[in-house]
Amino acid sequence: MNWRKLRIFLVTVLVLCVIPATRYYQIDKPLLRFLKSSHHVDPLSLHLSGEFVENNLGTEQDPDGSVTVRMIAQQYLFVPHCILVPAGVPVHLRITSADAVHSLTFNGTEYAVKVLPGTISVAQLQFPRAGDYKTVCREFCGAGHYAMRSELRVVPRDQFPVLRPEERGNCAAQ
Amino acid sequence: MQRNNRRASFDWSLAWLMAVIVATSSLVLVATDAAPDRVPSLVSWTPETIAAASSGEPFRGMLLAKRCDHCHGAEGFSPIASTPNLIGMNKLALWKQLEDFRSHKRRSRAMEPIAESLSSRDVSDVVSYYAALPVFPDPQDNRVFPGPQPDPGRAAIASRLVTFGDGERGIPPCQSCHGPVAYRTGVPSLATQNGDYVLNQLEMFADRIRANDINMPMRTIAALLTAEERRALAEYYGAGLGLQPASSTGPK
Repeated sequence: MNWRKLRIFLVTVLVLCVIPATRYYQIDKPLLRFLKSSHHVDPLSLHLSGEFVENNLGTEQDPDGSVTVRMIAQQYLFVPHCILVPAGVPVHLRITSADAVHSLTFNGTEYAVKVLPGTISVAQLQFPRAGDYKTVCREFCGAGHYAMRSELRVVPRDQFPVLRPEERGNCAAQ
Repeated sequence: MQRNNRRASFDWSLAWLMAVIVATSSLVLVATDAAPDRVPSLVSWTPETIAAASSGEPFRGMLLAKRCDHCHGAEGFSPIASTPNLIGMNKLALWKQLEDFRSHKRRSRAMEPIAESLSSRDVSDVVSYYAALPVFPDPQDNRVFPGPQPDPGRAAIASRLVTFGDGERGIPPCQSCHGPVAYRTGVPSLATQNGDYVLNQLEMFADRIRANDINMPMRTIAALLTAEERRALAEYYGAGLGLQPASSTGPK
């Protein structure tokens, strides 16, 4: 009889663990990944919902040690205005435009990312050396184009702040 | 027989248990995955929004605007330096601010209750009235608008920022969005704005007390400006120097 009780207990525990785990890994995670990997966004309502809401911009710490950087390019600013990434770590850049066509380049590197309104430009970057890089728009985007610059701060890996999953890092003046 | 019954009841309890687990797990997942989005403004400049904002009737707006006169002036120029002039305001800019006051995305003890008392039709009517209001050649009100001329040093700082911005720090020129060179959608003209109001708003943007700019351009720029530069810009616009495009040869 005790064996039977034990069996019921074990099955209950198993069910308790398996159902949410299965649901999360088989349904929610692929669904979220699918929703996030969509490369189309509405440039007019970036601020209302989705990936590019204000508190999701900046550097996100991924579980595998790499980082994801989300940015908006608009006339005539990159937001956030100063990006903070660790050196020697893969950086997944996701950037979209709110209005015109921009091009994000990092002075001193070969990277150039074309930014179009309505789509998310994705790039895999890596900065081996720590330092400050100027971020420049190299696609004429309007009257203030020549002042459209911001900063990329690459810090040594041990100086990069520990980010909680919901936290986004940047070095813009607060 | 009795044993069979017992087993059936056990199955039911297990089913209930499963249902409860699924429900709670989904609740937990929803709660953890949906981080609260910080939305600066409910307005987005879709064609429908722009059509709604520009569909106002200026005559009805004029009657409604009688209650704005006390603070914002009968001719659109405010008698108080820290209150904005509404003359020459872009329709969309004014409409967005009223909508933000209505949705409490922009905070103001005075304007939130007033904007709440307006319907969306009232808002577009008032807005179209102020957009159509001409600048009268013989002012009858006690406006503060063309403030005292700033000292040449500060005017030079402001003129440089308005015309060129600061490429080194990544500050775009003011006139590339606030006119008269170019306007972005929903951006107010600063040519006839009161200096104290401009200064207040720049400081509130820098401190993030005011946070209703879409995709945070003004919060970023105001934080990049120094306190001295903010004051210089406020004095520049408050003195009416923004009425003509700043020349490339330096301050006027």
